[in-house]
Amino acid sequence: MSDSKYFSTTKKGEIHEYKEDLRAVDRSKRKDSVKKVIAAMTVGKDVSMLFPDVVNCMQTDDLELKKLVYLYLINYAKTQPDLAIMGVNTFVKDSQDPNPLIRALAVRTMGCIRVDKITEYLCDPLQRCLKDDDPYVRKTAAVCVAKLFDINPELVEDRGFLDTLKDLLADSNPMVVANAVAALAEIHETSGRDVFQITSQSLFKLLRALNECTEWGQVFILDSLATYTAKDAKDAEAIIERVTPRLQHANCAVVLSAVKVILKQMELVDDDVLKKTLHKKMAPPLVTLLSAEPEIQYVALRNIHLVVSKFPQILVHEVKVFFCKYNDPIYVKMEKLEIMIQLASDKNIDQVLLEFKEYATEVDVDFVRKAVRAIGRCAVSLERAAERCINVLLELIQTKLNYVVQEAIIVIKDIFRRYPNRYESIIATLCENLESLDEPEAKASMIWIIGEYAERIENADELLETFLESFPEETSLVQLQLVTATVKLFLKKPTERPQQMIQLVLTYATQETDNPDLRDRAFVYWRLLSTDPEAAKEVVLAEKPVIADVGSGMEPQLLATLLQNLSSLASVYHKPPETFVSRTRLAVQRAEDLPNPEDHFGDESGTAISSADAAIADSAAAAGAPAAAASTTALSPQPDLLGDLLDLGGGDTSNGNVHQGSHDLASSLGGLSMGGTGGSNASQQYNSPQAQPAADDFFGFGGGSGSSARTPPAPQAPPLPVILPADKGKGLTVSGRVTRQNGQIVYKIALANGTQAPMDGFMVQFNKNAFGLSPANQNIPVGSVAPGQTATADLVLNQAAGMLNAAAGTTPTLQVAIRNNQQGVLYMSDSVPASALFTEGGNMDPSTFPPTWKGLPDASEASQHLQGVTPGNIEAIKPRLVAKNVFLMAARGSPSGAIWRPTARAQGVSELKLPHDANFEGLIGLRPQ
Amino acid sequence: MISQFYILSLRGDTIILRDYLGNVPKRSSEVFFRKVKFWDKEGGDAPPVFSVDGVHYLHVRDASVLLVATTRENVSPSLILELLKRIAGIIKDYCGLLSEEAVRKNFLLVYELLDEVIDYGYPQNSSSEALKEFVLNDPTVLRPRNKSSVPSIGKGPTGVIKSVLDTNRTGGAKRDEIFVDIVEKISCTFNAGGILQTSQVDGSVQVKSYLTGNPAISLALNENLAIGRREDGHGHSHSIPGAEAVMLDDCNFHESVSLDRFETERALTLVPPDGEFAVMNYRSTSNFKPPFKVYTIIEDDPHAPAKAVLFIKLRAEFADSKAAAGLEVVCPLPHEVSRLSCEHHTEVKPSGSQSWDWQERARRLVWKFKRVQGGTEHVLKVRVTLEDGHTAALKRGLGPMNLQFTIPMYCASRLAVRYLQIMKNDPKYQPYRWVRYVTMSNSYVIRT
Repeated sequence: MSDSKYFSTTKKGEIHEYKEDLRAVDRSKRKDSVKKVIAAMTVGKDVSMLFPDVVNCMQTDDLELKKLVYLYLINYAKTQPDLAIMGVNTFVKDSQDPNPLIRALAVRTMGCIRVDKITEYLCDPLQRCLKDDDPYVRKTAAVCVAKLFDINPELVEDRGFLDTLKDLLADSNPMVVANAVAALAEIHETSGRDVFQITSQSLFKLLRALNECTEWGQVFILDSLATYTAKDAKDAEAIIERVTPRLQHANCAVVLSAVKVILKQMELVDDDVLKKTLHKKMAPPLVTLLSAEPEIQYVALRNIHLVVSKFPQILVHEVKVFFCKYNDPIYVKMEKLEIMIQLASDKNIDQVLLEFKEYATEVDVDFVRKAVRAIGRCAVSLERAAERCINVLLELIQTKLNYVVQEAIIVIKDIFRRYPNRYESIIATLCENLESLDEPEAKASMIWIIGEYAERIENADELLETFLESFPEETSLVQLQLVTATVKLFLKKPTERPQQMIQLVLTYATQETDNPDLRDRAFVYWRLLSTDPEAAKEVVLAEKPVIADVGSGMEPQLLATLLQNLSSLASVYHKPPETFVSRTRLAVQRAEDLPNPEDHFGDESGTAISSADAAIADSAAAAGAPAAAASTTALSPQPDLLGDLLDLGGGDTSNGNVHQGSHDLASSLGGLSMGGTGGSNASQQYNSPQAQPAADDFFGFGGGSGSSARTPPAPQAPPLPVILPADKGKGLTVSGRVTRQNGQIVYKIALANGTQAPMDGFMVQFNKNAFGLSPANQNIPVGSVAPGQTATADLVLNQAAGMLNAAAGTTPTLQVAIRNNQQGVLYMSDSVPASALFTEGGNMDPSTFPPTWKGLPDASEASQHLQGVTPGNIEAIKPRLVAKNVFLMAARGSPSGAIWRPTARAQGVSELKLPHDANFEGLIGLRPQ
Repeated sequence: MISQFYILSLRGDTIILRDYLGNVPKRSSEVFFRKVKFWDKEGGDAPPVFSVDGVHYLHVRDASVLLVATTRENVSPSLILELLKRIAGIIKDYCGLLSEEAVRKNFLLVYELLDEVIDYGYPQNSSSEALKEFVLNDPTVLRPRNKSSVPSIGKGPTGVIKSVLDTNRTGGAKRDEIFVDIVEKISCTFNAGGILQTSQVDGSVQVKSYLTGNPAISLALNENLAIGRREDGHGHSHSIPGAEAVMLDDCNFHESVSLDRFETERALTLVPPDGEFAVMNYRSTSNFKPPFKVYTIIEDDPHAPAKAVLFIKLRAEFADSKAAAGLEVVCPLPHEVSRLSCEHHTEVKPSGSQSWDWQERARRLVWKFKRVQGGTEHVLKVRVTLEDGHTAALKRGLGPMNLQFTIPMYCASRLAVRYLQIMKNDPKYQPYRWVRYVTMSNSYVIRT
């Protein structure tokens, strides 16, 4: 009889029916009923109300029925913790049953019932089962330790289960060893504690177990071996020797984990001959992975991508196996293409190009585009093959297929950037295809080419004019290129027609656009052209730096991290694990903490070749440290100036915007000297509750007023806010705040080492920022920080024009990079409180204040209400403000309240004035200069 | 490790669900299914690994179901995908086949199996053989519609629909037998000149054993089997036809295989566990003779510039004692083709064994054969009318063509089983032994 009949009862009152049957005397009827209940559970019906009745069936000799009841219990125990206790007696009894299957079943099920009350009853049975004679029971008990640890870690330690687990590593049964390794690794991972540190003794045990283990156990052991740092080259070679046979395993996971271990241990090997042999040994197994099912191939390809980025020599002769097959799914084809680009060399480029050309005639548009791009990337990276690549591209342009032509033009622009003055003869062909361009990137590329080579294109003015017709409708990318190209044309051919064109385009760009980039660029050109055309020539027509071969576009630092995480999800997403893994096991997580699911699958090729126009200086930040910028923005969203400063009112508890990286200038101000619990800053993403006490402090600003009753006593050294929590910093916690000390801007920083190894060689670096801040000395004078210890340092900050990021306005974000010898570079984001920038000499003459204030643009004014300020207590507040370099310039009473004019001058570049038009609520306005 | 495991039907219904860690919302299967179904507009498949809202979804598609695992940790994706594939295999072994209906009919058995295969998200026991002692439910084996005593070879090794429990539980169907299948998938690419550009054989020796008492078996392969590619690049020059060794680039073995006699006799010894598994997987790129060649000729019509005749010539270049089944030649045609009609040049007998199908929307011509005897040649004459009267467009837009076929009892790499010995000291014990070969097309592309 088949099970499907259990799904078939959908009548009304079925729950009642189940209940009746569960209470039946007839055993087979009861069993049938439990089966029906399980069927209902599977399709998602709630049958939790049957809990007591089902549990009643638990006490039985019928193993099949028992299993069914346990299945039900596991599912619903969490919702009925009190009733789950009912089952405890049976569990304890079962754990001493003569039948090992029943003993194991009892322990396994008890561990799965994640109810706190049950855990204390679990300990004794577990203790027995860990020492059971039957390996099946022992291996089940080993996993159960991990289950128990997840519910109650203290209990596991008190009862010494961890030591028992470690003893199981030497068990005679491979399944037991495998599970002991898995359980220890799990506990190691979730607790962040060193319960599973491989020593030279346990290393030997693990290597021996490796040969005996199940395939899954081999993966667990190999993954833990990959974390082991060998003592010396000999040690490493010994490990490699034992691991190498695993490369022949039929299980792809075993092979990839073995590759990970070998690559890691090879770092210590100096013997070049051995290295070469190992590279040779790794190639065939890696290639064999491509014979697996497409799903497994995909994972293998993402990993191979990383391996060949670092060690292209391993697969350099194997490019053929990465040629796409007719029936490969698109996700496999895309990955193969990427690896083909990496493996392309002068030797095989002819073959590879032939393939690319074939792919460019396929049906899937995305794939075709990627193939065309691949040709361009090969041209850029292989100088000797560039001409052949260009010929293929020209052939493809002849197909007149719209998307092929556009993609080809985009890559040809990059080829021109790479090999200036070599292949310009093909421009004529490109110009024949202007009509088919409808995508911004292709248009922009074509316009760049026309502008750049205006002197060689006879009808450059006509061509540009056709684009100019639709200027207002274009995307900003195209508009920017059009402005630049028109200027280039004018400078190269200063005739009447270009002159008209430039008038037109600059007028539009300066007067009718809302896009500040476009407007500013147009203004710059306009002023340049009107003041000194020769200078304009020097700027606009300056020689551009030749773009370099950019490879796969992966940062070496990232690549190293990913190689350490080979054969893990990180190696598939190509993102470091901390960006997508959270330790806590919560049912629901905030969406914004999580990575975008789509962006791992996509357009690496787009970023690979910089398409920035060298004639226009890029935003300093982007050009300076793209990696730093990218990773810090990933940590905290860049707050924009307006939203940020207007959020001054964030001190108000009713304001919902306190959290999420929005800076709150006022509470930083408050938290500085009067704050009890530290100001809020960029790290609010992680400790948003802190923002509120800080806000309370700000109310306390009012000093003598009644509302200040809640002001906490001001401690001498408020704890520094955390800017990099330990889970993001691989165990290192960084706290810091920019503050003012003895007339200097000082970055107070605390480094807490949460790892098991000492750290040293700390250095710090800032990204360009709104205030031009940079550390006077890059070394952080803390020496070595022992595990568990915290070191603090005060870093004096300088202000330099070179560090100024004009684009940032007054955004207080400060992107900080800290490196040490153990962890490499960590990126984090902090904010600069305005008070740290206010200088001692900020007192202004009352007569000069109004005009200065009025001279500043209103648009950039931001204001905030101060609560608890009354005309009566202004004098009481005054000294507190002065202590923070905010000076009260004038105060007078008026019928509507009091006018209050404090002033402050910020150090360096941004001058801030604080007039205060205060009634009882108080209003602070800031206008940056 | 794994937070949840579920089996979904292709409509998105949850057929089986186990939650191990309780850290992923119960509704995740809906999230998953929506994501997979609408992955991209052009109908491309979702990659097997992706994440939504911090939950990582790993899945494999098998026949008519989706097997899915969810997790929040940085797990080894290949481990999970291998495990999912293995679970699919176990269900096949126990239920005879894997389909929505088979899982529904055996859901308690599947739960029972899962209990042993995964504990707390960690893979445990994954061998069909070892699982037998823990399973109490009896399988409901779905019988195929057309019953035949000898399993058909057409579908390759999966042709046998039988549960591993048959050997010792269900009395009626019990029969001692062992199947050894050499399954090869070939990939070839011919360039426009008809020259073989790349070729590869992905093969595996599949064993499906239903022997009582699990006796050891010995499986001997070609004596002239060589493993590992010749290191020098010009290895092809000194290969002597006839005496040529069977060359494999790389191979791997099932963990139960003992290789003691492999180096000397090319024999594998093993105690085959019940159920289906690959004793050996191998890969070969050394030249083999491709079973089919295809040529195209385009003839312009001198009187009507908008018309042309396209000849597609197919030659089966293998022994005439063998025949390919279900051959399809897929030929994409450019969008300039407005009309076409075909006629077969060879005598068609028996009638109906050949047909053609012009799929206008997909712009491809499919030429189908039920059976193609080795050594035969077939020509399809296609009269084409072109929209803007330019035969150059036809030349440029034609192809690449793709072939799909299965050739039973044919082995491209020439790997062979010399003997299959069941090592049991009982002269009366004579189980059925099946050694079968089958070669299938994987990616057989002819560029034009």
